[in-house]
Amino acid sequence: MNIAAARDTALPPSVISATAVSKSWGDHQVFRDLTAEIPKGITGLLGSNGAGKTTLFGMLLGLHNRNGGQLQVLGQDPQTAGPELRQRIGYSPEHHDLPTDVAAQDLVRHVAEIHGLPKREATTRSSDALWLVGLGEERARPIGTMSTGQRQRVKLAQAIAHGPSLVILDEPTDGLDPVQRDDMLELIRDIGTKYDIDVVLSSHLLEEVERIADNVVIISGGTVAAAGKIDELRVGGGGAVIVLDDMHEQVAAGLKAHGIDVEIDRNRLLIGGDEPIEAIATTVRDVVAEADASLRRFVPVQRSLEDLFLAEVHGE
Amino acid sequence: MTDPSSAEIYDRGYRVYDGPRTGLRTSIKSVFVASAQRALGLRRKFRYKIAPVLTILFAFIPALIFVGLAIIIPGDLGGEAVDYAGYFGITGIIVMLFTAFVAPELMINDRRTGMFGVYMASPLSKGHYLAAKVGSLVAVVSIVTVLPSLFIVLGYILVGTGPGGFGNTIEIVAKIILTGLVVAVFYSLIGMAVSTVTNRQGVASAVIIMFFLTTAFLTNALVFQANAPEWVSALSFVELPVDVAGRIFDEPINQLDGVSTAASLSSLIGVLVISLATIWFGYQRIEVTK
Repeated sequence: MNIAAARDTALPPSVISATAVSKSWGDHQVFRDLTAEIPKGITGLLGSNGAGKTTLFGMLLGLHNRNGGQLQVLGQDPQTAGPELRQRIGYSPEHHDLPTDVAAQDLVRHVAEIHGLPKREATTRSSDALWLVGLGEERARPIGTMSTGQRQRVKLAQAIAHGPSLVILDEPTDGLDPVQRDDMLELIRDIGTKYDIDVVLSSHLLEEVERIADNVVIISGGTVAAAGKIDELRVGGGGAVIVLDDMHEQVAAGLKAHGIDVEIDRNRLLIGGDEPIEAIATTVRDVVAEADASLRRFVPVQRSLEDLFLAEVHGE
Repeated sequence: MTDPSSAEIYDRGYRVYDGPRTGLRTSIKSVFVASAQRALGLRRKFRYKIAPVLTILFAFIPALIFVGLAIIIPGDLGGEAVDYAGYFGITGIIVMLFTAFVAPELMINDRRTGMFGVYMASPLSKGHYLAAKVGSLVAVVSIVTVLPSLFIVLGYILVGTGPGGFGNTIEIVAKIILTGLVVAVFYSLIGMAVSTVTNRQGVASAVIIMFFLTTAFLTNALVFQANAPEWVSALSFVELPVDVAGRIFDEPINQLDGVSTAASLSSLIGVLVISLATIWFGYQRIEVTK
């Protein structure tokens, strides 16, 4: 199949689309009503340990059957089109234990071959992928002689060598020191932006997802607690700051009368609480108009991803 | 001066791939080749080549002796020393040790290093993966079950004491290949079955060897000490391959006393079915991303 053509014509707007997906392992229900649309770009998958991130990856790859609901990956159902779909997906597992006595290039070439690349192409592209991840000079070295950072790069290289449309990375920065982590994040960002490869990565480090991802999906309690563009999600629920020329007390009283938590700070009103920003804006507009005050600025407060995660998962 | 229009850039770096993709057959072949290379120590450091090379050499020593005798002893006398079915008895211990070394290497290493998960994230299914592994192990073990006997036939033909006539030669070669494959499948599947139920290579190797030796010891004790029926001998996994070879070559001397062909075949098929079931259901239980 011509992947470039498929990329242009067959891909739906969502790379991954899940509707009311449920999944159980025996008596343990992992997902009960998982619904999310993951668009093109780089998406971070967040959730507490045991939330089901790796299980979800297995379902996206067609390795686990769901118990109910609908799931589409790159426009196909992984449950029925698993092998065909997996040819277009690159996967980097969480563990670090690649075969120690195999040269990096041999491993990457082999993985490219089993994804359907002809031998010659697999050889060329494995070399290209290893150069891309910064292991061009080290490609003939056995993996066992490499550092954790280099092994993570080999895992990334084997995930992209066959030219996938989607790459799934399970904890790609696990075990890396801060410098290696920065390099790896930059690499992932490059892969997602320069080569038009959609990336879904899981990480327990919220700060790194915040740095490189365009979108985020937060899983909690077997369902999606929050999903969407990071910038949009951070705006909601963090309150707002409004700057007034006059009538501060009247406006503050009006907002309090509407149940909004507000403090006066010189010429500003600090609005807290977890109301959606649209609701706050509407109330502020009405109260300001009623008080006949002069509104100079309305600035939504952005939450960090950590705040968002804690609010959605732990209700803090 | 070089024509600029003829210049091409070969190193373009990483780029989106829009070329052809081969089917599952290539994926399976890739696993088959990579596994065979691993078993034989190819594309690995020298120390990984020692055991397979020594094993193959040991398997060829009796063949070299047979051919040597045919060269030294004139006439048909040298050629009569060979006993093709018996050869599987002579090399049985080597095949057993080779399998005990190679099967865990091929099966357990993938699970321990996470390569099994990488395979399952490719178009391969568990069935494809296992088919490639079985094929690869059988092919590698066949090097020590098929090639030495074929070497003898070739040597005899060159010395002039070989099987008389084209028909006889073809028949013997066919029997050698058939027997060699049956024996290779027998040892390989047992080795793979044991390697499915443990994640420790050393333990698997020891269990494979103990498994073969224990069945030989137990069946002998039952038949000769406890007066069990003679068909029980067909459950000796050391003697069963030689017995099967004796029946394929129609050489009664290599067949187990008092064991019918039906009992021998039943035992063989039973072992293969149980081994296959152990491998299949063992791998069905493995979840790679849970």
